[in-house]
Amino acid sequence: MPMPMPPNAFLFVGALLFTLGVVGVLTRRNPLVVFMSIELMLNAVNLTFMTFASALHSVDGWIFVFLVLTVAAAEVVIGLAIIVSIFRSRQDIDVDDLNTLKG
Amino acid sequence: MLAGQIAFYVLAAAAVGSAIGVITFRNAVYSALSLIVNLFCLALFFLMLNAIFIATVQVLVYAGAIMVLFLFVVTMLAPENDDSLPATRDRLGVWQQTAAIGLGIILAGAIGYLVLAQASISPAAVATGSQDLAQQISQLGNTEAFGQALFHGFLFPFEVTSVILIAAIVGSVVLGRRTSSREGE
Repeated sequence: MPMPMPPNAFLFVGALLFTLGVVGVLTRRNPLVVFMSIELMLNAVNLTFMTFASALHSVDGWIFVFLVLTVAAAEVVIGLAIIVSIFRSRQDIDVDDLNTLKG
Repeated sequence: MLAGQIAFYVLAAAAVGSAIGVITFRNAVYSALSLIVNLFCLALFFLMLNAIFIATVQVLVYAGAIMVLFLFVVTMLAPENDDSLPATRDRLGVWQQTAAIGLGIILAGAIGYLVLAQASISPAAVATGSQDLAQQISQLGNTEAFGQALFHGFLFPFEVTSVILIAAIVGSVVLGRRTSSREGE
């Protein structure tokens, strides 16, 4: 089955999703939503990888997507554990208030 | 071909709309649900790109595992705290948001211009791929082609992945222990 659209259309959707993820990271204060925006960016990059894999007739992009999925899962587990432990100690999660490490 | 194009436009609209939902909903639970829709749209994109195995893994890992974790933590932490922007923090919020959205528009415009107007995949790059994937898929099938590449060409990164997963498991257990810090002090 050939690609229904030229690769650039898929790449454009990926770029749009990545930009929305960037805007989400920059504007939101809830660390959980910031995390979701990071997931959005990872998925946009995954879409780009898949598009190039399909356009170049190479399976390497699939491998990258697979590895990105694994790293994203590990990152989510650790990040959510950190958020939970911060919430336990401060009872308040706001990214702008978490500046205790600031020198 | 026309049906494929219609499907692409519908999927693209759904993906972008749900992504906007993720970053605009005040309630984090709605953001998480919107993200599930977005991930599902991406799985359908992968299906459209002939990657059946990756689409399945996307649904299983993201929608099945990661989003369950997200929803669990979101509902556990602060279900009533819905990130009210105007009440507490309008000192920095307005210009930060304007700057972020302006920068985002510039980024989207730049990438979109590059993607749509100028960039095209050179035939030489396609030639190095040498129709390998299509041939393998037709001979072996989708999952088998992926497995051949994973376990022959990329065995070392695959093994490193298992180390990452072990580190994540150990780290989450350590971070999740409630009493560990008090015993240490």
